[in-house]
Amino acid sequence: MSVTQQRRKIGPVELEVIMGTVRSAELEIEAAVERTSRSPMIRDQHDYRVALFDAKGRKLTGRSYSALVEPVFEYFGADDIHEGDVFFWNDPYNSCGGIGHIPDLCTTVPIIHQGRLIGFSQVFGHHDDVGGAVPGSMPVKATDMWTEGLVVPPIKLYERGKLNSAAYRIIARNSRLSEHLKGDIDAEIGAARLGSRRIVEMAERYGIEALEAAFDTIIRNCTETIRRELLPKIKDGVYSWEDYIECDGVEAPKLHAMRLTMTKTPDKIVLDFTGTDPEAAGPINWPIDYADGKFARKWMAPVLRSLASSPERAAEIDMNEGVLDIIEVKFPEKGTLVTPHFGKPTGLRFFILLRSLGIFAACLAKATGGRMPADHETIRIWGLHGGRTGKDFFLFREVLGGGGPGRPWADGSDVVHIVPNSRNLPAEFSETRYPVLVEKLALAIDSGGAGYRRGGFGYDKRIRVLQGGKLLSNADRAMLNTYGVNGGKSGSTYGISVEHKDGRVDAIAGMADNIVVEDGAVVRIMTTGGGGWGDPLEREAERVRYDVECGLVSEQAAREVYGVVLNRLGNEIKVDGPATMARRAKMRHARGPLPMFDRGTYFQEIKAAQGVAWPKGWRDPDEGWQAVARAKNEAAAE
Amino acid sequence: MGLRVAIDTGGTFTDVVAIDEASGDQWAIKTPSTPGDPSQGLLNGIRKVCQAAGREAGQVAAVLHGTTTATNAVLEHKFEGLGLLVTEGFRHIIEIARQSVPDGYGNSYFWVKPPRLVPLHLVREVPERLDFQGRVLAPLDEEATLGAIDELVAKGVRCIGVCLLHSYANDDHEKRVGALIATRHPGVFVSLSSIVLPEYREYERAMTTLLDVMVKPYCKTYLGRAEAEIRRTSGDTRFLIMQSNGGVVTARTAGEKPVTMLLSGPAAGVLGASFMADHAGLRNILTIDVGGTSTDVSLVENLKPQLTSAALIEHYPVKTPMLDIATVGTGGGSLAWIDPYGNLKVGPRSAGADPGPICYGKGGKEPTVTDAALVLGRLPAALVGGEIALDKTNALKAYQKLGENFAMSAEEAAAGVLEIAAANQVNGIRQVTVMKGRDPALYSLVSFGGAGGLFACEVADFLGIQSVMSPPNPGNLSAFGLHVSDVKRDYIRTMVRQESAAKWREVDAAWRELEVRGTKEIAAEGVPEADIQLNRSADMRYVGEGHEVPVPVSEGVTGEAAVAELWREFHRVHQGTFGFAYEGSQDVELVNLRVQAVGRVHRPLARKINGKAGKATPASTRPVYWRGIGWQDCAIYRRETLPLDATLDGPAIVEEYGSTVVVPAGWRLTVDPYGNLMLKRKP
Repeated sequence: MSVTQQRRKIGPVELEVIMGTVRSAELEIEAAVERTSRSPMIRDQHDYRVALFDAKGRKLTGRSYSALVEPVFEYFGADDIHEGDVFFWNDPYNSCGGIGHIPDLCTTVPIIHQGRLIGFSQVFGHHDDVGGAVPGSMPVKATDMWTEGLVVPPIKLYERGKLNSAAYRIIARNSRLSEHLKGDIDAEIGAARLGSRRIVEMAERYGIEALEAAFDTIIRNCTETIRRELLPKIKDGVYSWEDYIECDGVEAPKLHAMRLTMTKTPDKIVLDFTGTDPEAAGPINWPIDYADGKFARKWMAPVLRSLASSPERAAEIDMNEGVLDIIEVKFPEKGTLVTPHFGKPTGLRFFILLRSLGIFAACLAKATGGRMPADHETIRIWGLHGGRTGKDFFLFREVLGGGGPGRPWADGSDVVHIVPNSRNLPAEFSETRYPVLVEKLALAIDSGGAGYRRGGFGYDKRIRVLQGGKLLSNADRAMLNTYGVNGGKSGSTYGISVEHKDGRVDAIAGMADNIVVEDGAVVRIMTTGGGGWGDPLEREAERVRYDVECGLVSEQAAREVYGVVLNRLGNEIKVDGPATMARRAKMRHARGPLPMFDRGTYFQEIKAAQGVAWPKGWRDPDEGWQAVARAKNEAAAE
Repeated sequence: MGLRVAIDTGGTFTDVVAIDEASGDQWAIKTPSTPGDPSQGLLNGIRKVCQAAGREAGQVAAVLHGTTTATNAVLEHKFEGLGLLVTEGFRHIIEIARQSVPDGYGNSYFWVKPPRLVPLHLVREVPERLDFQGRVLAPLDEEATLGAIDELVAKGVRCIGVCLLHSYANDDHEKRVGALIATRHPGVFVSLSSIVLPEYREYERAMTTLLDVMVKPYCKTYLGRAEAEIRRTSGDTRFLIMQSNGGVVTARTAGEKPVTMLLSGPAAGVLGASFMADHAGLRNILTIDVGGTSTDVSLVENLKPQLTSAALIEHYPVKTPMLDIATVGTGGGSLAWIDPYGNLKVGPRSAGADPGPICYGKGGKEPTVTDAALVLGRLPAALVGGEIALDKTNALKAYQKLGENFAMSAEEAAAGVLEIAAANQVNGIRQVTVMKGRDPALYSLVSFGGAGGLFACEVADFLGIQSVMSPPNPGNLSAFGLHVSDVKRDYIRTMVRQESAAKWREVDAAWRELEVRGTKEIAAEGVPEADIQLNRSADMRYVGEGHEVPVPVSEGVTGEAAVAELWREFHRVHQGTFGFAYEGSQDVELVNLRVQAVGRVHRPLARKINGKAGKATPASTRPVYWRGIGWQDCAIYRRETLPLDATLDGPAIVEEYGSTVVVPAGWRLTVDPYGNLMLKRKP
């Protein structure tokens, strides 16, 4: 009998069937949300998350992050949870840190079997409109939470199966798309109930005791997987890093720093956000200092999967409540970006959500000899609206991906989006539906940060506007580059510009609203490239040559960044081996040691101008960190 | 009247079922597949079944053929020399794809973009541009096009996919490009997206076109070779190929557009199951076809298999009308194994056909589902037919060893493995039911394939299903299903029109155009016009939705009435599919018009079983192990000796050639007049 088995109170068969059923139920809930909800943000962009929990509120499912069940206990208590109840909230300051911005409405149903609470099923989705200052409920200029839409603290939308119709009507009335909103809420409740039936069936088949023992094992498996497969790859010690949001939408652009100190011991990782900059006036705050930081711990833990033995293995590793035994967090005093005071706006908190993953990954890079993916910026929205309300009004809005990070095992993937299965709009669809002509849909040349494994490419998209309108852009990383790791170079920034008919070109800011675009003008959008990984001079010359042949890397970059000398013979491009070797040797000699991180030129300029200020007790987290040579790095991975 | 021969070519074996058109007599044989050149296995099959039936090749009246070899060839990455031509500005179309990363949140950090079907250096742009209505914004630059074609050919390209923007609305440019290639490089294979999939969404259209041209040399070659040989031996015999949509077409048509046969492997089984279910008086069924490495699951409502228009082959989308079939990685050959954390797993790893389960004695070392069934006494000592004696000793040893890891006996471990295998299938069934808003408990389970009868009742128990059916000869129901297929071709045209702005005459005219083509092409397949049926439908959505629902038009309704029916019926279909509708409050949009042309062909008679009603007599008894109960002496029956209307109660085992049906306690089995075993949960 294996050690694992001795501790189990459940047979291997029951366990495997229950694990398979929980996983299948998660997929079923997702399918039900997509099938029956109405907001395009949920149905097509897949911006929703589902989860199953045990009776203690511990998360069992692992495909994706989720909100928390803690608000049910905190606001109602164990005695006030009944069959037929539906708990509901979206309040960023009353959801134990589980809901980050107001468009995310969260639905939770208790799972009851033979009168006993055996778990919870939960769905939250990003709804198209929950009121507030602007359509879409994500005002760039918001200076408080109330501007951003209707705020619902934890309530029972259903009490023992009976709808609280007053609450339902108030919520629906506060949306510009109340029919959509009602449909979405009903869909989420239906989907959550569907998931709960699956858990009840397992209780009926194997009994509550076996079910609970299986839940314990599911959670322990996660902890054990991390302990055995991932933690040993991280060197014990204390590591710090920081990254920035360049603009809060309200004040003039400046660096808003998120700071992290990671302390790694054999069995644990402590993440301390002390040193993070003060809360912002605009909507980039993220209130997570609740419920022992459970949300942030579960949100950030999946970063560890990049340390798995292969990307296929990484995709298999479920991240559930078991991560709490590994990761602890510490927060600074109230009043920072991650501990904002009640009422601070949070609508565009997705910038800081992504930064948190990036700084954790960078701390891990320091602790693993650089063996972590570089940076990628994955969410931005641009759009064009025009016409007359009620007549020919149109809103053409796209969520566009960016280049993925270079990693030790592969180049970054091109134009990817962090939300799984989210899709871009086909040109043929866009042209049929909106007054536009997509003139170019391409990968942006040289956008991926150079490296032994380069970053993925971002978009280079040109859209001719056939009927004038107004442009919007919700994007970060328009000034700061995505960072490169272990000698890899930073990736290119986001850029949006309007090329007027008379030839003038206007560059537009990343955070912009209501920019007038006339008939016949062209909007050009370049999305971020991923950061590069490893020394570009180590990249196989043949790979560089192939990227040049494909037109993805310029000959200039091949020569100047990668040190590869190419000869053109008619249509053929060939590597000049000896010249390349000589050139690379010369470049290596001239440049000196490579830094561990490259944040790009905009940052370097600010830093050179003494524009980066560190709080007391902090020093430049890049200083003294050099790239680890590839041979050494690979040996470390063994 | 002659012999109709159906050949179902799998990865390892080819199943052949021949039926005499006049008498309905049937013969079935099995022969090894020949994946390198599938025509060899196919022709061997015809020869062997003629021998078995005592007929001459000249008496073969029709050959029907279904295959998984094209899919397998794609999965094995057997193809090279593929190139793509696209509209200027869109060279990165397949690199960009739809920007999606599969599975979990945040996987974009480590997920690696899979290799594209065509590497970027073999994609070339063609200067030209149409708008969405098919109007020419920039004419085709023929000189530049020829330059691009020559460059590709010089780089070794032998198959070219052509996908130009908005070609579904106007195919002039694509046709011209096709002609330029044909004139300049006659040996090069070409597929035009406007022929393969005249539907908007350029990435999916490009990929479907590429898959089509990719398998074209392979399919065309082997089908051509087989056809020539069939003509030589059997004269002017019809040679029909199963497509993914559940219909057949002539080999020549299939070779021209082979993407339609790419996912046809499991389709015939669904047709065969539906045909037998009809005779048994069932209308709403779930079919499960349990093979060696996997199980195919599908939903049939009102005897109509459910259709879908898109699937993935590996990472690559393919859009073509097809039966909606989900595949689960659990079958008879699935391995039971222990993961590094000590968890017991079943599948998706499989022992395959070679070496196969331990008990087949062909070198298999790891325990499979089939070995578990043997250990538990569910399978006989030798598979009926006597061809394979089963090695129980080594199967038992393997399960003893597996059980030791969990302090379980060999039997407990084996029974647990069957329970897990059943649960895996249950999750597959939920994909085609619950995920589409259907309750599986309301359907009957029709179970077939070699391992179909082993745990069908266990699967039913999980899902609350009350009745299970095992059709006769469950091992070759797929080959039988080929006999009950019609000639079918699908026609599609994208026409995006909002209800408020649509003109019925325009819609009707477009439909009629598709119908004229359908009638012509089905007639060319040799079907008399009187036997051709035309089914109109459309893909529709509310304005602003990202995906469409298929809306059928009632048979025979045309003109203004047909269009009016669309606008009306859409809301009902939307309600049924998604659970909501906006009738009267939101504008509806037409996206694609479709016509399916169906040519009815010969149907075999289902044969009633001989003899009088009577009592079932067991052939023997043997101990069988049941989870949670233990060993029990159980009656063992031979299927062919079960009289009509016989009734027997579980626990019992029914054995036959190539298959075993397990009847657990709590289930009652009866035999219907067509030889279907009907199992019902006892009240």
